[in-house]
Amino acid sequence: MVDTSTHESQSQAGLAGQPEGSSWSRLLWGAWFVLLVLGLFGVWLRMSQGHLPAGYGSYVPWGLWIALYFHGVGISGGVFLIGALGYLLNLPGFRHGTVLRLILSLSVAAMVTGLLSVWFDLGRMDRAHHILVSPSFTSMMAFNAWMYNAFLGVVGVSWYLSYRPASSWLKPVLALGAFFALLFPGQSGALFGVVDAKPYWNSAIMPIMFLTSAITAGAATLLCVLALLRPRSSTPGSADEGREADVLRSAELQGLLRRVIMAGLCVYFVLEFAELSISLWSPGGHAPAVELVLFGVYWWVFWIIHLLLGGLLPLGLLASSRRSAWGVAAFLVAVTFLSTRLNVLVPGQAVGELKGLQEAFSHPRLSYVYHATGMEYLVACFLVAVGMAVFFLGRRISAVAISRFESRV
Amino acid sequence: MNRRELIRAGALVGAGAAAAVTAVTASRLSGPPKDPSGPETVRKLSVLTQVKEDVDEDVLLRMQRELVTAMAKPVEQRRWIMVIDTRKCVGCHACTIACVAENKLPPGVVYRPVVTEERGEFPNVQLHFTPRPCMQCDSPPCVSVCPVEATWKRPDGIVAVDYDQCIGCRYCLTACPYGARTSDFGEHYTDAAAQGAPEGQDRPMAGPHAPWEDAPNFEYGKQWSRQDHGSPTGNARKCHFCLHRLEVGQLPMCSTTCIGRATYFGDANDPNSLVTELVTKHHVQTLLPHKGTSPRVYYVV
Repeated sequence: MVDTSTHESQSQAGLAGQPEGSSWSRLLWGAWFVLLVLGLFGVWLRMSQGHLPAGYGSYVPWGLWIALYFHGVGISGGVFLIGALGYLLNLPGFRHGTVLRLILSLSVAAMVTGLLSVWFDLGRMDRAHHILVSPSFTSMMAFNAWMYNAFLGVVGVSWYLSYRPASSWLKPVLALGAFFALLFPGQSGALFGVVDAKPYWNSAIMPIMFLTSAITAGAATLLCVLALLRPRSSTPGSADEGREADVLRSAELQGLLRRVIMAGLCVYFVLEFAELSISLWSPGGHAPAVELVLFGVYWWVFWIIHLLLGGLLPLGLLASSRRSAWGVAAFLVAVTFLSTRLNVLVPGQAVGELKGLQEAFSHPRLSYVYHATGMEYLVACFLVAVGMAVFFLGRRISAVAISRFESRV
Repeated sequence: MNRRELIRAGALVGAGAAAAVTAVTASRLSGPPKDPSGPETVRKLSVLTQVKEDVDEDVLLRMQRELVTAMAKPVEQRRWIMVIDTRKCVGCHACTIACVAENKLPPGVVYRPVVTEERGEFPNVQLHFTPRPCMQCDSPPCVSVCPVEATWKRPDGIVAVDYDQCIGCRYCLTACPYGARTSDFGEHYTDAAAQGAPEGQDRPMAGPHAPWEDAPNFEYGKQWSRQDHGSPTGNARKCHFCLHRLEVGQLPMCSTTCIGRATYFGDANDPNSLVTELVTKHHVQTLLPHKGTSPRVYYVV
């Protein structure tokens, strides 16, 4: 027990901070700093001018931030689900405390990013607590909000218990977390699925697509993080760290994630094909939205970002035996799967049920055309920077906690 | 997992699922009585008591008398509906503008646009106008999606919004098939109007926008000022049949200002009311009936 903690303590320190002075470390810190500075400017715009610089309106009320929110909570659930199942099923690499805590930190970071994202989108940010204080569970949104908080609680308990792997509560708590992580990404899809007013959303396949997307993007984010982290396995005199690094860099662990991503991509594209082809074959109420996705102003989001950069290219890279290519593929999937949310979100809203409504009263906020503005992109940069910071802090705190635990023992 | 862990896992997951099911079921079953009802909602109004009733009087006067009669009943015995005779609508948009003025709607917020549709092929074309207020649906999809109980169906049928409770998530906007809800994004008509103007006494406006834009509106019988980002800034907003006017015996502004007398308003529970007469005598239609929302706005076509 003590030995394990010692190993982990040293390893966590290695993972939390990159080798001092390495170009890789400087690159990551530089990227984070740029994102933060740009993001803070966006936050200042958002706070000082409210929603005025934003591109969404009353007919397309949800935009980039809501897509980011669903992407964030999806990654959070997906990462946790993979980590918890890997731990419970004793899959290679997942039983290690370092890996488990890395997964928990990543899950919390993605969740915080998602929740912050939706907070920036609220018309009354000062009343966000109403959803917890006086919720109406007839709304999928309130149900989700409570689920996220319960999930964060479970992640916290799992993190605490991860230092006591012998505890007979760790696995049951992870099972509960896996149950939540299975539910809330699907519920995100249900949030859209229950909206009868939008034929494109009102589909029973929507929760399954969101769940598939969450697992795929979650696995991709985890693999991407593992590829980005450079444990100091080569540092002289750190044999234990080397062993930990071997776990994180093991072909088995990364190979498993690679297979999950490939399977997830294939399943998602099959589901997507089913959804789109039926609509094109027999055009119904949601045909205009589908046409907008495929051939409308947002065609490039589907064909270039989603299909090419988020599907075909990663599949090609993952099919190769070069592990550096897997990292690139994982990064592409983790980032471009945001487009799956946008492809559901925006076209679904951009087709009105009442013809002529947009022309009935003219105002930029009463338009079915949405393009994210600079302010929205800048705030998105801030959210990504916050996610990175939370992950980094999670790793640091985990490392410190090991030391504390070690000294207590 | 050993047996103990398996039992614990099952218990935790079962408890989580049970809590979720209980929360949803409780919310589904309970209809929170947000509004007062009974005798305290009875209004003895003295509107039009001095004006003698005439058989040939304007329909506005008839509707106003019926409104006074309806207000003398408890709220749960009234059932407000609107009937719009599209054959009479000339597309003047007076109702739209009157509504904007009455509720002091900022830019980008509209409660009652008039949808214009061109039918036929040139030269045999015809313009068709469809005013679109909130449908005050009996099965309102906007209510169930609200995560904070900020919107609900009143006993008299009006779907109300609590501006102090609304968090501005805009889920209700997406749920309304009629696009009847708009969000107040905090815009002002005079934003940037004084940009570049000199400071001091010659400056046309003291603040960032003209002070008249901060004047309160009286929706739902309360004073709402948008000054300093006050509600309803950031909230979802919608037509409420001018509830604040009904309380004092006045018809909704759109009905009053309709130059063609195409908008009728009244109590469907009154068998002698004009709206009941119109609904029973004419072939009326509702918008998007296949959505199953049961609108309380009827169109004579």
